[in-house]
Amino acid sequence: MRSHRLTTPPPAAGQVLDAQLSLLDRQVLDRTGVPVTTVDDIEVSDVPEGAIPVDAAPPVITAIVTGPVLATRIFGGRLPESRYIRIPWSDVSSVETVVRLGVDGEALDASWTERWVRDHIIRRIPGGRHDPE
Amino acid sequence: MKRLFAVALGILTAIGGFVDIGDLVTNAVVGSRFGLGLVWVVLVGVIGICLFAQMSGRVAAVSGRATFEIIRERLGPRAAVANLGASFLINLMTLTAEVGGIALALQLATSVEPMLWMPLAAFGVWIVVWRAKFSILENVTGLLGLSLIVFAVALFLLKPDWSGLAAQAVTPQVPAGEESPTYWYYAIALFGAAMTPYEVFFFSSGAIEEKWTVKDLSQSRSNVLVGFPLGGLLSIAIAACAAVVLMPRSIDVTSLSQVVLPVAEAGGKVALAFVIVGILAATFGAALETTLSSGYTLAQFFGWSWGKFRRPVKAARFHLTMIICLLLGLGVLFTGVDPILVTEYSVVFSAVALPLTYLPILIISNDPQYMGRHVNGRLTNGLGLVYLGIILVASLAAIPLMIITGAGA
Repeated sequence: MRSHRLTTPPPAAGQVLDAQLSLLDRQVLDRTGVPVTTVDDIEVSDVPEGAIPVDAAPPVITAIVTGPVLATRIFGGRLPESRYIRIPWSDVSSVETVVRLGVDGEALDASWTERWVRDHIIRRIPGGRHDPE
Repeated sequence: MKRLFAVALGILTAIGGFVDIGDLVTNAVVGSRFGLGLVWVVLVGVIGICLFAQMSGRVAAVSGRATFEIIRERLGPRAAVANLGASFLINLMTLTAEVGGIALALQLATSVEPMLWMPLAAFGVWIVVWRAKFSILENVTGLLGLSLIVFAVALFLLKPDWSGLAAQAVTPQVPAGEESPTYWYYAIALFGAAMTPYEVFFFSSGAIEEKWTVKDLSQSRSNVLVGFPLGGLLSIAIAACAAVVLMPRSIDVTSLSQVVLPVAEAGGKVALAFVIVGILAATFGAALETTLSSGYTLAQFFGWSWGKFRRPVKAARFHLTMIICLLLGLGVLFTGVDPILVTEYSVVFSAVALPLTYLPILIISNDPQYMGRHVNGRLTNGLGLVYLGIILVASLAAIPLMIITGAGA
């Protein structure tokens, strides 16, 4: 294989992030600062196969993925499409040492286990709905 | 005045909260077999936990991130899940030992079988975790735990040969009739008891529960740097009492009644009452801390909502985890296993797991993205590296020594 010297990338507008270093495995907080999940994986828009046309749009992050996908990062393998739980990237409001969302965590698919445990178990135990004293 | 009160309260609870069932049992066992020949390990352990707790508290206060979030973020999911597995299991083992300890302390007070006390003890721990405010559970158990000072009082009442004790402590040697691997095995056990990893999960998560900021750092430092060494003195007093009373009669420590025997001999019923209250508070406090730690580690790894500052319905999976862990601990105790034995194993496995939590904290407390200008200073880093070495050696040597010595038999 011939080796190519890579040209320097064009200057990017805005903040530059290393996805591996400052996105994966970071805590995700909702609009009110309540933890929702951790960034278990991210989904990137398709990169065309073969030669890339000069005017092609750069790939973008489309979603934070969570749920069972964590197991595939630990043990390998692939999930069926139905098991992916996504938080669309448009919900993200900022990326610092944590990823903040601009929406309420309550309405997201990603928080369904929390809601299930709350509604079926914790809410039914006396005192669960009160502030600690 | 209010501030002075807060500082004093913090220090007192740090002293009372330092000792748990692991320290009680291991120090008494070591004192009865090796005299004060292993006191130096307690000193090494106390400096280590001061360094470690202070670092993790600072990371939590400055970055607002608790230990296990950081462990996963730094090590990636594979290494972190292995770390979580080990830490969680050892924490569960410690939790089991503490709940058993509560039952044994209640048995000392009432002569009712510990098996009957265990469900009540577990329920008591749960109800406090479920309903009580974080600051209350911290302060009440810490202050009542101060009754353990009776070990120091008992030591004076026993009128020991002070110069003999000092000689044992200053020139440590393996006593006749003990093998040197056994000596080192107990050195590691004692080190693990002083530096139990759950204290770090608890300390860093507690900093977030109590909403510490950079402003609270100096107070937390004084709590740790004054409270823990004084707590360590209590540990030494326990070992010294055993060395004075139990060692000459070659009584082996196999139950709590032998741990408290020197106190009862020195101070009679009143002292015994104090020591029972102290042990009850210490084990109950540590049971709360380990129960919370089980929830903290799992919730922080998966990014769940956690914390006692939230209502249980606002941190549902966190509370469910703690309920399940208490039930698991209770299940283990119901097999009839001796809680003292669980304790002895848990402190050794704690030593094995120490590098897993220590290393990520050392790394992150040097990361300016998290810490800004509050990164470690040179002195802290120097000490940190020395301790990293000690912890690694202890961790690697623990299991081989356990096998060679037949768990210190």
